[in-house]
Amino acid sequence: MLTIALPTGRVFPEAAALLASAGLPASCLASPGRRLVFEEGNFRYILAKPSDVPLYVGYGTADLAFAGGDVLQESALPLVELLDTGKGKCRVVVAGPPLLADRFRGHASEQMWLKVATKYPRITDDHFSSKGVQVDIIHLHGSIELAPKLGLSDCILDIVQTGSTLKANNLEVLEHVSDVSLRLVASKKSVALRWSEIRSVSNALKPLCPVEAEEAGGRRKYFFRRSGRSAPRPAGTTEL
Amino acid sequence: MNRLPRGCANVGGDLAAAMEECKRIFLSLFERWGYSPFLPSGLQLLETSWERLPSPFRQKLITVNSPYGEPCCLRGDITLATVAYLASHHAPEERPLRICYSDRVYMRAEKPRLAMESFQIGAELLGWERQGADVEMLFLLLETLDRIGLEKSVLVLGDATFLSTAVSSVESSAAERIISALQKGSLVEYRRLLEEEDIPDFYRAILQRIPDLHGGPEVLAEAEALWGKGAPLQSLKNIVSTLGALGYGERVAIDLSLIRELGYYSGPVFDVYSESFGQSLGGGGRYDRLLSLCGLQGQAMGFGLDLQRIASLSRFRKRRSPVMAWFANLSSEEALRRARSLASDGMNIEMSWCADRASSLRSAAKRGCSSWADLSTGAFSEISPAPAAAGLPEKEKPSC
Repeated sequence: MLTIALPTGRVFPEAAALLASAGLPASCLASPGRRLVFEEGNFRYILAKPSDVPLYVGYGTADLAFAGGDVLQESALPLVELLDTGKGKCRVVVAGPPLLADRFRGHASEQMWLKVATKYPRITDDHFSSKGVQVDIIHLHGSIELAPKLGLSDCILDIVQTGSTLKANNLEVLEHVSDVSLRLVASKKSVALRWSEIRSVSNALKPLCPVEAEEAGGRRKYFFRRSGRSAPRPAGTTEL
Repeated sequence: MNRLPRGCANVGGDLAAAMEECKRIFLSLFERWGYSPFLPSGLQLLETSWERLPSPFRQKLITVNSPYGEPCCLRGDITLATVAYLASHHAPEERPLRICYSDRVYMRAEKPRLAMESFQIGAELLGWERQGADVEMLFLLLETLDRIGLEKSVLVLGDATFLSTAVSSVESSAAERIISALQKGSLVEYRRLLEEEDIPDFYRAILQRIPDLHGGPEVLAEAEALWGKGAPLQSLKNIVSTLGALGYGERVAIDLSLIRELGYYSGPVFDVYSESFGQSLGGGGRYDRLLSLCGLQGQAMGFGLDLQRIASLSRFRKRRSPVMAWFANLSSEEALRRARSLASDGMNIEMSWCADRASSLRSAAKRGCSSWADLSTGAFSEISPAPAAAGLPEKEKPSC
């Protein structure tokens, strides 16, 4: 039996629909009610808080999971990212009051010691420290947009889908950090020990993922363009 | 309250006993096969570790200054210390050298874990020639796993040379990005990079198939068919066929996308997995390149396992209940003499110096002993766990 962890909340319906469309026995997910564990056919589904999903996979309780790129980046667990579903698209951005925009247009040193409120302390730290900027990270668990308004922070690092929440709080995007979408991930143990089952699920989902399908199309075109290249033989090794 | 520094832990109770038992089994097996124990220094000079470890690993090292002002790190990897020791303490004619160890390693933890110290058991075999030695080490590793009750664990084998040859025709920074994507486990990024980078079609076709090259020995045949003549898979084929012939065929899986965190591997690599845990229990591989970085020529193979993880999954996780031996008001000397004969029969003994029989029996039940022995008569009583709460064993209720 394969165990798949699914995030509750905004992307749950999309993940459940993907599984059903791929032909997996997932009718139990149509109306989950208050239950958190379901079994159907050879599959067990666990419904978990989005930020906890990587942990279920990382520790081997679940073989597979759907998780947002933001949550995966924040968890930094050693998982295998199999597919980009292209669903639940949004962006991780730094946002703040318009007055702050100039500091993000100028030299990175102008961002030194900004107070940044966020649900994602690791992503925030990685993002600013990669630019050599030291910031004061304020770890919040919700209503991040309120922080600059109430003077708790200068700006925020958060996910944005349409931008309407930012606008409602008089904030604007100051910097793009990364694109986020729903990913299919697997536990390293399951990839090692149950690859054929994992591959079956991944292959069933692949045609339903626009990003993956697009890449497959791109690849074919690319091959035609490069068909004249000869294949050199191995000429020594690059050390890993 | 005796608080420990954050990230540190005392290990006691059943887990500590299981760890000691696993360590004993591991060390005694390897010593019987000619491996010498090694106790590396806890502090390593930063100048010797820094250049030989990949950047992501360096960032996890815990750096300190020695009291003599030398920049050091707490030992983050025992293989490095072993190779440095062998390079400076043994002449080339003494090779091959076989080393086994059990010690702590220290690294900065990543969330959600806080622990910065872990226990590692491992072995290294340096300066051997030909193929037999890498199979020797894997065979002994599987023997160890069997003896500690991890008969269902699996060795996942890959080959660093296969991957490095496949990217050798790619521009070096692009090759690094491709390898890094695989190392991170991001097949999404890996596929994207294969699209973007300038790669000859021959290698592109191989690289595209690599994430799917998982499974049994048939994967090697598939990889060979893909590569044609000269596929760098001979070492792996020898390992798989020898372990198969030794009855370990079911315990070996191939994953040609396998890359280990430490970047110094240069041939067959492997990870150990158990069905009960989501991450690798440890692993190792060939590291001829590390050897050359230390000024040594030749071949080397080694592995390290997380002792705490394997002990927690082992058959020793539940400690064998001891027999409580009541001294029965004999002289201490006589009681110990009689208890010694029980212990020499292979029993685990816990002495009871209670003056009265009933207290001793109650104590045996409370402490989870499997049975109780009266050293004056040599009679045994079984102790049932259920009535332990009442403080008296079920089968024999002595009058007080």
